Amino acid sequence: MDSSNTSHSRNSKLKGLAASPGIAIGRVLRLDERGRRQFYYMEVSAQQARTEIKRLREAFAEAHARLKEIRSNLKGELGGQHEYILDAHLLMLEDKHLIAEAEREIRSRRINAEWAVRNVADRLAGAYRHIKDPYLRERSADIEDIATRLLTTLSGHTRFNMSTLDQDVVIVAETIWPSTVGELDLNHVLGFATDTGGLTSHSAIIARAVGLPAVVGLHEITKNAGTGDAIIIDGAAGEVVLRPTKPIIRTYIEKRDLDRERRVEASVRSSEPATTLDGVRITLRANVELPAEIESLALFGAEGIGLYRSEFLLLNRLPELPDEDEQYQVYRKLAEATGEHGASIRVFDLGGDKLSLDGFEEEKNPALGLRAIRLSLKAQEIFRTQVKAILRANSHGKLRIVLALISTLDELRDAKRIIEEVKRELAESGAVHDPELPLGVMIEVPAAALMADMFAREADFLSIGTNDLIQYLLAVDRANENVAHLYQPLHPAVLRTISHLVRVAEKAKAPLELCGEMAGSPIQAIALVGLGVRTLSLAPASIPLVRNAIRSIDQSRVRALLAEAVKLATTGEVEALLGRQLPRQAPQFFAALSSLG
Amino acid sequence: MQERTVKITNRLGLHARAAARLVRQAGQFKSAVELKREDTGQTADGKSILGVLLLAAAQGSRITIRTEGPDEERAAAALLQIVEEKFGEEAPDGLF
Repeated sequence: MDSSNTSHSRNSKLKGLAASPGIAIGRVLRLDERGRRQFYYMEVSAQQARTEIKRLREAFAEAHARLKEIRSNLKGELGGQHEYILDAHLLMLEDKHLIAEAEREIRSRRINAEWAVRNVADRLAGAYRHIKDPYLRERSADIEDIATRLLTTLSGHTRFNMSTLDQDVVIVAETIWPSTVGELDLNHVLGFATDTGGLTSHSAIIARAVGLPAVVGLHEITKNAGTGDAIIIDGAAGEVVLRPTKPIIRTYIEKRDLDRERRVEASVRSSEPATTLDGVRITLRANVELPAEIESLALFGAEGIGLYRSEFLLLNRLPELPDEDEQYQVYRKLAEATGEHGASIRVFDLGGDKLSLDGFEEEKNPALGLRAIRLSLKAQEIFRTQVKAILRANSHGKLRIVLALISTLDELRDAKRIIEEVKRELAESGAVHDPELPLGVMIEVPAAALMADMFAREADFLSIGTNDLIQYLLAVDRANENVAHLYQPLHPAVLRTISHLVRVAEKAKAPLELCGEMAGSPIQAIALVGLGVRTLSLAPASIPLVRNAIRSIDQSRVRALLAEAVKLATTGEVEALLGRQLPRQAPQFFAALSSLG
Repeated sequence: MQERTVKITNRLGLHARAAARLVRQAGQFKSAVELKREDTGQTADGKSILGVLLLAAAQGSRITIRTEGPDEERAAAALLQIVEEKFGEEAPDGLF
């Protein structure tokens, strides 16, 4: 925790996972977190230190007032026996030595109030842990409790304002929570580097969505990097250089500029369709999370939206939910922006590693728990409101609705029944809407993949969600860096499953789409085309590169290659085969690709 | 300056509840209040709960209450009384 302990070696290189391409060169801004609330470590000027001290005093006063209120509300309920705990907490907040020490910390180390509280609380808790008496030793928990209260109070106030930074920053944190990204001023953020996280963690997805370079799974970056340190992130190589020397910085500046040029070049050609050399037309749609991304669709040449992750509407909002009109406005924007191509809206995928809903219990195993369609069918009012908003917005374009985490046909039938009921209600009330709303089933549970022929009969289209499909098929938590190496998109089991889905959909004449991070990697996208997938949905910023990849290959040749790949035994064998054969099939594209890395 | 030395006799010693009572009481006076653990020589501001807790004065340890200021005598007497009365918490040999 003590940032002065960090080593200051130059050019220290850390290797992580390449989460989002691009090169960022800047200074570190470290985020700390306790109890899922992140705050900044900031160095401040003498002037700002005075403001921070004022914030600190106000936080003490407010936390004290709030605690007093709590105590009077709880009077009687706790019984006199336990009130003394709150009384002790109140006294801690009145403790002049504590306040003075925190102020001294701000003044002498020139840091923000949050970090001062954190440091002082850590030191104090450390002192308590040395006490022999086990009861008194436990008091360190009380100190943590009031520290959390102070931090919460501080962050509820005017947070340290990112716009007061005189330079752009690279965020370094254990992990980036979606809610934190919502609070950051992205105009001042150059990139992310995190200790934890796999390639499909939300940190990585968000970084790709907003087009910022990111390296995740670095394990110890928060221990090695202090706020203000110079840092280079190479998102394509999955590398971070801390405290680089000037010659290294110069090399990376060149590399960064070259990389930017290529991206601009690629996007200029975005009007050309993604057609293979032998004339097979591939549709490239965009995955969208944030409203700001809608504007980038045309720039990257996306043919509509293949996946709108609607739960991002709830970012920083829960437990409050956006009402029907607010949702309608957003969906209408999607409908109008995508015109003929249309947009697929995935019903709130709450739970799991994403967001949780107030009023529902925390689960031991959320990935296998009450989430997505299971939650929609249980909290039906939320589902109905969303469907209503989508049906109304549908009169402004061509929307589609997609159900996530379907594992049985019953769920599809129940959802269909509810959607039909909502249509009837809208018709009866005379509200403007369009009932022609194609219904898709997301294939991401192995059971749904095996039963795809049945789903193809009752749904309007199938959409393969590779992130979750791989997670459930291979039983790998994609955010757990201990097993991240087992998350293998090119595992033969994944290829066989996708190949099976393509055959089933063809036979049933059901449209098949694929969304997920796999589609954003040029090599994996080529593999998907080889397996017979014709519609891919990916992060907008990845579209130009994938389009170029598709335009450089011959579909009949990659189909033959993939027919061989599905017969292989291991991911390593698949990668070796593709790594050997694809550069031969498309030498120019792969030469350009390797110079990017 | 006033000084009173007293033995902590309640079962749990100067734990959170006892410390809270003592600190609350000390805060009522204008005088400065210092507590000293006789066995270790460790001292603490009697108006700081974090300091008093950190003394970790268990049952049987002796502490000296030192007060200094306009109401030092009353303060010393009141604080001594609280300790002697086992912080008003032992009914007869209760948990707290």
